[in-house]
Amino acid sequence: MASTELLPERSLPQRPRAPHAGPIAGRVELLLELVRRDVKSRYRGSVLGVAWTLLNPLIFMLVYSLVFGKFLRVQYPGHSATVFILSGLLAWTFFSQALIMATSSIVANAALVRKVAFPWAMLSVSSVIAALVNYVISLVLLVPFMLLSHKGVGPPLLAVPVLVGITFALSLGLGLMLAAGNVYLRDLQYLVNLGTLIWFYVTPIIYPFSLVQSKFSGHGFEGQAAQAVLYLNPMTWVVLGFQDVFVFDRWPQHWHGLGYSLVASLISIWLGLRVFRRLRRRFAEEV
Amino acid sequence: MPDSAVRIDHLSKRFRVYHQRNTTLKQSLIDRRRGRFEEFWAVRDVSVEVPVGASLGIIGENGSGKSTLLKCVAGILVQDKGEIAVIGRLASLLEVGAGFHPDFTGRENIYLNGAILGLPRRYITSILDTIVEFAELEQFIDNPVKTYSSGMYTRLGFAIAVNLDPDILLVDEVLAVGDEAFQRRCMERINAIRAEGRTLVFVSHALESVRSVCDRCLWMDHGVARMTGGVDAVISAYLTEVNRREAKELEVTDTAAIDTSPGRAGVRITSIEVAGPDGPGTVLNTGDPLTLSVGYEAPGPLSGCRFSVTFLRPDGAPILTVSTDDLETGDGALPRRGDVRLALPGVPFLEGVYRVTVDLTEISTGQHFKRLERVRPFRVHSADRHEVGMALLGHEWELPKVTSRAARS
Repeated sequence: MASTELLPERSLPQRPRAPHAGPIAGRVELLLELVRRDVKSRYRGSVLGVAWTLLNPLIFMLVYSLVFGKFLRVQYPGHSATVFILSGLLAWTFFSQALIMATSSIVANAALVRKVAFPWAMLSVSSVIAALVNYVISLVLLVPFMLLSHKGVGPPLLAVPVLVGITFALSLGLGLMLAAGNVYLRDLQYLVNLGTLIWFYVTPIIYPFSLVQSKFSGHGFEGQAAQAVLYLNPMTWVVLGFQDVFVFDRWPQHWHGLGYSLVASLISIWLGLRVFRRLRRRFAEEV
Repeated sequence: MPDSAVRIDHLSKRFRVYHQRNTTLKQSLIDRRRGRFEEFWAVRDVSVEVPVGASLGIIGENGSGKSTLLKCVAGILVQDKGEIAVIGRLASLLEVGAGFHPDFTGRENIYLNGAILGLPRRYITSILDTIVEFAELEQFIDNPVKTYSSGMYTRLGFAIAVNLDPDILLVDEVLAVGDEAFQRRCMERINAIRAEGRTLVFVSHALESVRSVCDRCLWMDHGVARMTGGVDAVISAYLTEVNRREAKELEVTDTAAIDTSPGRAGVRITSIEVAGPDGPGTVLNTGDPLTLSVGYEAPGPLSGCRFSVTFLRPDGAPILTVSTDDLETGDGALPRRGDVRLALPGVPFLEGVYRVTVDLTEISTGQHFKRLERVRPFRVHSADRHEVGMALLGHEWELPKVTSRAARS
């Protein structure tokens, strides 16, 4: 390479170099900015802003408790239908929002993915975290109900982070898979909307778990199938855990079920990362 | 031999070109496969090394694989064959302001964009003022970027990117946007980065920019590395090829008829011909004698009229207008038909395709009998010349002599 030998000697950098965050710290910094963007952009330009995070589940809770509690006369265990429904509904909103937002996270940032190489998975992670932030805000709704229904706040509240963690891992793993898949097959977005709606009904949120246990035991194939779906649904045990804590002020009772959910959520993360890693190779071309 | 900052080894990248892309489930189910596609190699077996501190320009026509190659190095695309080895921190600037959120203010976007490009928040805070100043957005930094003009948008994006401070900087055509002054500032900034011993890979159509910042050059042609070498040699080889292709096209379009319909008073321009030293043709070299012949025809003899010819630059800007007013004799009388000839002893233009505007005007009224605009393209070559620019102007150098006294001191 003759021409390179002719290069003049270059002076060493004079000014101090810009620090770059390492791979881990960089991801954390990036994640913080992306979450900030996702949370902020959600409320920018809306008059009620954050109030929507509270208003939405509140209205749904009222509708459900009216329809199921008053009209259909479903017997809810515990103090009231409202706190029962709300404790599961908030967790569900977190889960389904995380899935829906994560699914479109790569496609929605197509311009960025096409032009900048950075850990794209952080886009999906940040949508799940943004959903988590909304969840934490929405927990405020439970405070008045809990103060009304029992004396105080007990140690079982310590189980909440674990339950949230399982929900988080479950939705993140699925979210990563869906986000990557959605780049290649845009129908996933619609399927996820439909899927979460069905999933909602096979999770004991607006009806008590005991109802399914008692009603369908020994009711032939249909009943057993319905029960099996509920038992296999990892969100069942998480929601039951939330109900134990918020409604009954007790530690989650279904430890086996929760163990199963935990394993499912870990598998979900592992699979999600694998699928994402494999599919990301052609993101920039396909998105 | 210095170490390579970037080594590309037999790199190939294949794209899928979908005839009818199946991104919906229905189609996928019907086709049982994800659409029908053809494979197409955007980059084929390209090898090139960029030594530490060197600067490589990548040139080539649209669709030649320049950007694909750069995106592979940047890690945005994953190659199908071959290897890329990069030593040092790499930053790519493929699009300024990619990822700006329209609803966010300039300030918020600086943090967001900085994080995407890998800058820690604390560092961004420390250089925020510098960025805002460089982008000249002091008054607007707290407005949402959707209210920005495209120039402001670009300035902000570039101001963030130049603070990345990488070992290797990949730049793709981003300088094509923005006004002249800003482009100059960007080039200065790139040269400053170069001067610090950083490695640069620069994709551009602007050959002059490539020449001014790069020492080596890669010419991509239909996905293949056509030539690698010193920047001047590669650019001139590239230009020769482009000229050859273009001349071929010009020869085809050359025969395309000009508008010979009658104008005012039934005056027609029947032909316009360019001739070089070897007779009629549309390809000349800088310095060649040029003769432009314009044939006209009128219902009867003409008087008090003027011919004028304007030579136009490739971008349509006029270079020179000459008219028969220059002739001190005569009253503008012409027979009812004939050829008007204009001769340039030597074409002063440098590299490019030039055109002419021809008109025949009645002097007393100033009205055109007939005017043909931007016609008869002809190509001027100057590949083997050292001069750069638009036109060759007569010049002479004078250098101080080395006297024996000066040599001793």
